[in-house]
Amino acid sequence: MSERAEKAAEWVYRGVWRVLSDWFRVPEHPPTLPAAAGEFRLSFHPSRRYLSYMKLFFWILLVVIDLALLAGWIVVCIADAQVGMLLALPALVIIVVPGIIAYIMIHLRYDTMWYVMTDRSLRCRRGIWVIIEHTITFENVQNVHVKRGPVHYFFGISTVVVETAGASEREGESAFAVGNKAIMQGIGNPKEIRELIMERVDRSRSAGLGDEPSAATRREAAWGTAHRGVLREILEEVRALG
Amino acid sequence: MDTKTAAHDAFDPATITRPDDSLLTYYVLVAVASLVAFPFVFIPLFIRFKTLRYRFADDGISMSWGLLFHKEVYLTYRRVQDIHVTRNLVERWMGLAKVPIQTASGTSGATMKIVGIKSPEPLRDFLYARMRGARAEEEEQAEQEAEQQEGGVETVPDEALSLLREIRDALRELRSNRSNRSNEAAS
Repeated sequence: MSERAEKAAEWVYRGVWRVLSDWFRVPEHPPTLPAAAGEFRLSFHPSRRYLSYMKLFFWILLVVIDLALLAGWIVVCIADAQVGMLLALPALVIIVVPGIIAYIMIHLRYDTMWYVMTDRSLRCRRGIWVIIEHTITFENVQNVHVKRGPVHYFFGISTVVVETAGASEREGESAFAVGNKAIMQGIGNPKEIRELIMERVDRSRSAGLGDEPSAATRREAAWGTAHRGVLREILEEVRALG
Repeated sequence: MDTKTAAHDAFDPATITRPDDSLLTYYVLVAVASLVAFPFVFIPLFIRFKTLRYRFADDGISMSWGLLFHKEVYLTYRRVQDIHVTRNLVERWMGLAKVPIQTASGTSGATMKIVGIKSPEPLRDFLYARMRGARAEEEEQAEQEAEQQEGGVETVPDEALSLLREIRDALRELRSNRSNRSNEAAS
C-alpha cells in the first residue's frame, strides 16, 4: 500500500509543481549568480531535517484543530443526531482537505527555498506567492548570527542570519521583509556555512561600509621606500653633525 | 555564459526613465482589490505612476515621485549593500518586478524601491556588477598602483618626498660647511 501511496503522492506533487511553474510562474531551477566558469559555486536547499521540523508543527497543529472539530461534531451529534449525520461529510472534508493542502504547501515551501553561494556573494530565494530574491556581496557583510532553539536542537538544524550594515533586530523575520539581512533557515551544517561566509568576509580589508580609500588618498598617506631612504640619509647627516 | 554577457552588453539602464506602462494596470488591479476604497487607493497610486522618474547615471541612481509631496532619493552604486527582487503572483503574470535596494541606512523598508521593471534580471546584474565586492579587478588595480608607488616609479610629484630631499641637502651643506670651517681652524 505504502509504495502505491508514495507513487500517487509523487504524481500529485509533480502535478502541483507543473501548475505552479506553468501557471503561477514559480521558477523550478535554483537562482543563478554571475560567476566565472570554474569558480566556486554552491547551491543548496535547507536541510531535509528542516522539512521534518516544519512537519512537526504541522502535525501538532493538525491534531489540535482536528480534535477541536471532532469534539464540536460530537457535541452536535449528542444534541441532534440527525443534524450530526448530515454534517458528517462536510466535517470530514473540513478536517481532511486543509490538512492535505497544508502538507503540500510545506513541501512546496521547502522546495522553493534556495541558497546560492559563490566566492563573492550570496543569493537567497524563497516564497511561492511572493517570490523574494536577496543578493549580498560578502564585502558588505558585517556579521553572521547562528541561532538555534530547543526544537531546532532536536532536529539538528540552525538558522544562519547574514547581516549587512543597518540591519535591525525586528526586521526580516516577516516573510515579505526586504531588509539588510539574509535569513538562511534550516541549515544542517551551520559551522561549515558560517566558516564559508566568514572566510570570505575576512578577505575584505575594508569595514564594509563603502569606505574604500581611493588611490590618491592612499598615495598621500603612504610613506614609501623612497621616503624612508631619504629619512635614513637625514638621520645619518644629523648624527654626523653631532 | 556568452549569451548572458551579450545580453548584459545590450542592456542599458539609462534607457529606464519611467516605470513600465503595465505598472498602471497593476495599480488598477491593486485598487480594484480594495473594493470600496478604490478612489482613495487609486489616486495616490496613479499620481505616483505618473510622476515617477528614474535616472541611472554613471555612478548612481536617482528616483523621484510625488506631486504635492515630492520625494527624491539619490544613491551611489558603490554603497548598495543588498539587492532584492520581489515578484508576487500578479506581477509574475504581468512580467513586472520590484527591485528594492538597501544601503547601510537604518530605515525600515528599502532605501530605494524601484518598481515597474519589466526585466529585473539584467538590471540586477547591472547593479550587482557595480556594487562593492562583486568583482576583484578594481581592487587589483589599486594594489598594482600602490606597488608601483612602492617600487619608486614616480608618476606624480610627491611633495613630502621633495621636502625630505631638500632637508637632506640642507643638512649636507651644513655639515660640509662645518667641516670646512673646522679644517680652516685647524690649519
